[in-house]
Amino acid sequence: MVSRLLRKNTSTARIIGFVISNFIGLAIVLGGVQFYTDAASIWNDSDSFIRSDFLVINKKVTSENTLHGVSPFSAEEQADIAAQPWVRQAAPFTASNYQVRASVDQGGRGMSTSMFFEAIPDDYVDVPGSQWQWREGDAEIPLIISKDYLTLYNFGFASAAGLPQMSEGLMSGIPLRLTLTDHSGSRTLNFYGRIAGYSNRLNTILVPQNFMDYTNSMLASGQGSRPSRMIVEVNSPGDVAISKYMETHDYEIAGDKSATSASFLLKVVVGIVLSIGIVITILSLLILMLSISLIMEKNRDKLHSLLMLGYTPGAVASPYRRIVVSASAIALLMAVGATLLLRHSYSDALAGLGAGQGSVWPAILIGCALTIITMTLNLITVHRRVLGSWRITR
Amino acid sequence: MEHIETITVRQALPMVFAGQSFPHSRVWLSELTLHRGDLYKIEAASGGGKSSLCAYIYGSREDYQGEILFNNEDIRTFDIARWQEIRRKHLAYLPQDLSLFPELTAIENIQLKNRLTDFATESEILGWLRRLGIEFRANFPCGRMSIGQQQRVAIVRAICQPFDFILLDEPVSHLDSENNLIAASLIEEIASRQNAAVISTSVGNPLALSAPISLPL
Repeated sequence: MVSRLLRKNTSTARIIGFVISNFIGLAIVLGGVQFYTDAASIWNDSDSFIRSDFLVINKKVTSENTLHGVSPFSAEEQADIAAQPWVRQAAPFTASNYQVRASVDQGGRGMSTSMFFEAIPDDYVDVPGSQWQWREGDAEIPLIISKDYLTLYNFGFASAAGLPQMSEGLMSGIPLRLTLTDHSGSRTLNFYGRIAGYSNRLNTILVPQNFMDYTNSMLASGQGSRPSRMIVEVNSPGDVAISKYMETHDYEIAGDKSATSASFLLKVVVGIVLSIGIVITILSLLILMLSISLIMEKNRDKLHSLLMLGYTPGAVASPYRRIVVSASAIALLMAVGATLLLRHSYSDALAGLGAGQGSVWPAILIGCALTIITMTLNLITVHRRVLGSWRITR
Repeated sequence: MEHIETITVRQALPMVFAGQSFPHSRVWLSELTLHRGDLYKIEAASGGGKSSLCAYIYGSREDYQGEILFNNEDIRTFDIARWQEIRRKHLAYLPQDLSLFPELTAIENIQLKNRLTDFATESEILGWLRRLGIEFRANFPCGRMSIGQQQRVAIVRAICQPFDFILLDEPVSHLDSENNLIAASLIEEIASRQNAAVISTSVGNPLALSAPISLPL
């Protein structure tokens, strides 16, 4: 009977107005989050060994320093880079200080080449632990090589030399015989190399750090050559401060940067969309707050009379609480539905770009969180309005 | 609180009366203790502050100086939960403006209170309406009744709860003397059943209580 009494003066149009505007705001936010979750996988998948917020830095090679060689990063320069505000962590590449020969036996035709190794701390390599492991005594070592090397072989060397072209999978199956010799030629170590992955972003041949330390200690009395490259984890790859720093210090960022800037652009665009959605959500919150306040103001005498009869503020507030909770829940459900529809409409296009399906949970959780916030603020308004009708000064 | 045994009005005065003197008042700027079980009649000229006194005691207004005490406890210290319990179990009130909901029927208005207290059965309520001569109006919206009929609905609503004191602000101002007697006997009967006090105000047509203590404002 209390709710029948208080439902008078309730404006259905205003409540529907809230549901629609809240729905639009939430749908934009959730759609943005969902799109980001789905689209981000395009970049994350393209190079699963090195995450996009890692940059490889080297010094610029100019005609001047060709003569006396590019000077390696000194301890001070390393410390200076690590101290920059946009750097989360930084580490130098360790290079091999010995000679490496790799050879392949392929159907009776032997092939061999000189090469080198580099290593970075294992935290920077994003390969499942079991595949990126080397223990003293193991004859087989995992390698990550630049995808460009395979391309060079397939489209440059193989066709010119009349050799078969190789897929990534096939290449990984071929055991590489590796012969490591110290500079004097007196000590030799033999291993087998297994290609654990290909990277777009690292122009090098990467081995596990502990293997590098071990071989340098065996063949170069612990002396790695001084680092000429650094790997840096940054807060935001699009930061202008980074390119400015590179310019002033004559450093270069190696590898493919287009993924970095594209993912940065995606973040900016999604950020704009999210802000619009959040503004609309806030406006819808104000709509409901105002209309609830207006309804309760109109019913102020009734609220007062009910409190005078001995009804508790909670009992008097409950019809309004029900309106707030059900309107918010309906808007949330509609927004989640709209997000799933939107996702269905773009999923084919995104799949064409090589994106996998992201999870729907981040969007749904953010929707629930926003709804709980708007609902709580509105319930507080209801509560304060009820208490405001406790005493009426006539 | 088990029961409200006494209500004390000490040096109280509505703020709007501040600075005035009340030589004949038994209530304002004096000390008055009302006891559970007694019958009181508060009479005053219009504008004397009867309705204000009722609202102060009922906790719906606080614009007074001095103190009002229930069992020697200052009622200004009561919080909302305490007041709501008092209003359901210890203190009944019929305000002068009746505060009926015009869109609800007589019986709905009464049940709005009775459901909260679970005090009377529907047939008891209908019996009381019959005694007051308005049973035929039970399912009629209050907004379309005469003031006299509305007053009788409000009387029934006021007694639909356990109480130690009942405050009646001009309860029979629109009733004839015959209905006044019926209303008075009904209220006295319900009050004495609970050993409760009746406090009734009027500006000239007092509730016909049997031998009440008269208190000029």
